Amino acid sequence: MSLYSICEWLQNTGWGTGIRESTWVFPIIETTHVLGLALSVGTVAILDLRLLGLGLKRESVSQVMGQILPWSLSGFAIMFATGILLFWSQAVKAYDSVFFRIKILLLFFTLINALVFQFTVYRSMAEWDRAPVTPLRARLAGAVSIALWIGIIAAGRTMAYKF
Amino acid sequence: MDLLPFFRWCDSTWLSVTIRESRVLFPIIEALHLVGITLLLGTTFIVDIRLFNLGMRQQKVSSLATQLAPWNRASLAATAGTGIMLFLSEAMKCYSSGPFQVKMLLLFLAILFQFTLYRRFTESEKTRFTPVKSWMVGLTSLCLWFGVGLAGRAIGFF
Repeated sequence: MSLYSICEWLQNTGWGTGIRESTWVFPIIETTHVLGLALSVGTVAILDLRLLGLGLKRESVSQVMGQILPWSLSGFAIMFATGILLFWSQAVKAYDSVFFRIKILLLFFTLINALVFQFTVYRSMAEWDRAPVTPLRARLAGAVSIALWIGIIAAGRTMAYKF
Repeated sequence: MDLLPFFRWCDSTWLSVTIRESRVLFPIIEALHLVGITLLLGTTFIVDIRLFNLGMRQQKVSSLATQLAPWNRASLAATAGTGIMLFLSEAMKCYSSGPFQVKMLLLFLAILFQFTLYRRFTESEKTRFTPVKSWMVGLTSLCLWFGVGLAGRAIGFF
């Protein structure tokens, strides 16, 4: 069974068809997915700005991280759940879209970036927790994160267009 | 007052025609508009969860609000700038769009609120916070800005 036929099967299930053909369910899920950006990426961006030394410089990194990440993670849970439902209802379109593939790839890179941060410079955070300007690797993690999220937002939005 | 001639004029400007005739400009501007919205709502959200006493409890509201203010204003400028370009490129569609009218009304109220009451309440050192007042100010800002986003998304659906 090819990936394509799995996508075809998925979007023809009762749920897939139901979401796609409903007047209200699709727009509601889609709107939740878009406005969820504020809670997920919007809050993570504040942490990235702190890592870059460009925002909330007077607060310690651990404070910003500890207070903001729970909100970001609940935001990402909403994004993931609504994203799955959107994919379910138009899996073939997503399969055919190069922007969807770019988006998934960039999401994967975001995970790698977070893991690299977690297992390297994060371990010595006690030493630079209160520093307005963080070590290069921490700044790099913040910059990469912001760049990736801009790419993910752009790729996600562009999925709606045919080129 | 009839705004139709104004919308017609917007629709025929050089910028409007250029964006309409390009296949890539509209998606690019739209993506930047979304990035701006993300940061605009993100910065507002952080101050609001502090007002709700649900996070950042060790920081003062005024300290958070003033530190985030430059990003809040910059993202508002970016969102407004890209928004004007998107509007110009499809001014006639907006003219007959109900959600667009709702969005403009909410946007006017949101900006008005943000730069008067909200700003004074969150950025001043002298504010006396009570839970009720803080919740009211925070909820009003969240409802207004998410309302703008909701109506904005609806332009594409109806």
